[in-house]
Amino acid sequence: MTGETGATASEPAGADDLVEFAWTDEHADLRQAVRRLMATRAPLDRARAVADSGERHDADLWRTMAEQLGLQGLAVPEEHGGFGGTLVDVALVAEEMGTVLHGGPFLPTAVLAPAVLVPLAEHDGEAAALLGRIAAGATTVAVAVAEGRHAWAPGLVTTRATGAPGSERLTGRKDLVLDGADADEVLVLATTDSGPAWFRLDTTDGPRRERCATLDLTRPAATLHLDDVPARRLGGPDTDGAAVADRAALVASVVLAAEQVGGAAEVVRRTAEYVTTRRQFGRPVGSFQGVKHRLADAAVRAEMARSAAYWAAFQRPGTDDFELGALVARSHCSEAFLQTAKDGIQLHGGIGFTWEHDMHLFLRRARLDATLLGDAAAARERLLAHALPDLAPSATEVA
Amino acid sequence: MPVDLSPDATEAEAYAAADAWVREHLPADVLKAALGAEWPEVAAFVADPERSTPWFAALGDAGLSSPTWPCEHGGLGLSAASAGAVTEAVTQYRVGRTMADFVGLALAGPTIIAHGTAAQKERFLGPLARGEHRWCQLFSEPGAGSDLAGLSTRAEQQADGTWVVNGQKVWSSFAHLSDFGLLMARTDPSLPKHRGITYFLVDMTTPGVEARPLRQMTGHAEFNEVFLTEVELPADAVLGELNGGWAVAITTLMQERNGLTGRPAVGDGKADELLRRAHGNGSLEEPVLRDRLLRMLVEERALQMTTLRAYAEAGRGAAGAEGSVRKLVNAQLEEEAGALAAEVDPLTALSWPAGGAVPAPVEEFLAMKTTSIAGGTSEIQRNIIAERLLGLPKDPDPEKDKPFSERPRTS
Repeated sequence: MTGETGATASEPAGADDLVEFAWTDEHADLRQAVRRLMATRAPLDRARAVADSGERHDADLWRTMAEQLGLQGLAVPEEHGGFGGTLVDVALVAEEMGTVLHGGPFLPTAVLAPAVLVPLAEHDGEAAALLGRIAAGATTVAVAVAEGRHAWAPGLVTTRATGAPGSERLTGRKDLVLDGADADEVLVLATTDSGPAWFRLDTTDGPRRERCATLDLTRPAATLHLDDVPARRLGGPDTDGAAVADRAALVASVVLAAEQVGGAAEVVRRTAEYVTTRRQFGRPVGSFQGVKHRLADAAVRAEMARSAAYWAAFQRPGTDDFELGALVARSHCSEAFLQTAKDGIQLHGGIGFTWEHDMHLFLRRARLDATLLGDAAAARERLLAHALPDLAPSATEVA
Repeated sequence: MPVDLSPDATEAEAYAAADAWVREHLPADVLKAALGAEWPEVAAFVADPERSTPWFAALGDAGLSSPTWPCEHGGLGLSAASAGAVTEAVTQYRVGRTMADFVGLALAGPTIIAHGTAAQKERFLGPLARGEHRWCQLFSEPGAGSDLAGLSTRAEQQADGTWVVNGQKVWSSFAHLSDFGLLMARTDPSLPKHRGITYFLVDMTTPGVEARPLRQMTGHAEFNEVFLTEVELPADAVLGELNGGWAVAITTLMQERNGLTGRPAVGDGKADELLRRAHGNGSLEEPVLRDRLLRMLVEERALQMTTLRAYAEAGRGAAGAEGSVRKLVNAQLEEEAGALAAEVDPLTALSWPAGGAVPAPVEEFLAMKTTSIAGGTSEIQRNIIAERLLGLPKDPDPEKDKPFSERPRTS
């Protein structure tokens, strides 16, 4: 990892003083504010309605989020016009959004893009200006890394950049680009003669943005067909694009883990409510141990997921502990949400298998989240270097 | 003389004070051995009562064996987190009190602090902290395991206020080596089962108390069956209210669940040790085993993070149903650790030199079912989590509200 990636969107001032799980009144206020906004403007029904109508997102809500709560600027440092929130702040927002499966441009624009752009902005006014527009809620940004069967593998990117500095052209294909068909801006990771680098696509000229059908109905995605299209390189001449991408994935992993916590805890809550009211054999089904114990296990997973996600959020980005926390969270929270979503459907029985019931929406989201930033097994493989530091350093490299 | 530490000491301050105290007071040869990681020598010191008895007494007087207890009862009044730092400082030299004292320090002490009279606190807490008394639990019975409130050991009050106890207890760890026992006995069978139990503090040398060690599947004999025959107890052996023993027992059980997941810190654990072994013998190259080990690493770290969160969010010494979450996960982890120990090193686990020390993988494999049964089975923990954390209906218990004496007898 190069020194250039030393700062991230979520590195708070005085981070050395962070104490794990030291919750503040400001945390509670932020959580309450987001919860209230989601309850009134974006309940789960609304996520389903937006998905059913094929709408990209609720533009009015997007404006409210920016104007009233400044959520788009939470992960953007103050020097770039944002609110410079901590990673804990961003995680709290993601958790609340996760409980109602809020989708749309928030994750790519307000989480992924700042995580990529903040280190680039150190050497690049264009990246800095983009951060300012994100913070103001004035633009939406998609981040294109995935290709083929690799969701987030910076070292395996084959999309190629050619041409002289300042007038590069990109050729290749990017998959699973969240909000990729509609976002105002697209950031692309592509290879150059000196390794992977980040580019800002000229969206007015040439890229074919193919809107896709998506398993997660609440998060639109696109495939980008890049056939020698113009783009501009971001960052300094020595910026290691793969390291920026890796660091961004770790930061985003913590935020996504919090979203997974929100989703898993909501499945447990809804299922507990259902099995308490649903009666068979003359008593609530929740009084049978076969049901109780499965749900107890789900609650345990969700509690562990919460600990893992927020322990990581309380670490200082760039440290060993931060990487450890992010990887533990990605592995545990991904599998916890997926398993809990499956159990939620199981414990709802036939009604849980219907299109009208909301349980499958959680399963769909859980499946997307488990892949988006690299899968759980890959995260575990990287943890080996933390348990066995003497092992060959190759174990820590990203594929 | 307690170490000079404010009850509001931070973790760093608590650690530094405990560390400095140990370095100053530990016999020089033992300190040297510990600093040089010559652990067999340190273990020999701890196992030698001639040397370890004065050491544990000094450690207790310094408040370092009971850092969460109130200052007036030989503790330091520290928060759970700072107390964890004290324990960490002592255990790094491996000269702290052993697991045989778990019942005394982690269960008896806090239960007596919560429910004891001034005289009981005065009599028991000091010696407990100094390592003078070993304690055991006299809870489970052949007919009352998971359904602990169904216990039938009987305590009958005499005209002079003293008690006579008759019954049989089982699974009492270290009872054969203990000075005192925490006893639950039925004092009013005309009341429903949870409401007719009283909690006693029993001198194990009282005539009629007989502990018989039971050999466990591990080959060791740590737990016992305990026969109580016409055991006479003084009136002041009662802890808490007459017929109020269930509430006192809940204090003990919650401490037990809470205490089993170790100190609140994120770092090296059992999974790391297994990964080192697997790396050492080459089995780490086997991809399925490798991922299972890493999966255990993730779960163990997540449990450590959960313990840390529980301490941070609960404040001083609080324990609740949340302890069941950690106990359940810990049981699953121990089972997986035992299973993996044998898979990482299968031939060592299957045969070893006759007469030689039993290898670690054998001990670990055979002990893997300990925590999923001891201190409340995993099934009982799941019931607690479902009922208390999720609000699901309680398991039906047809005997719950009937007088204990009217329950159907099965054996």
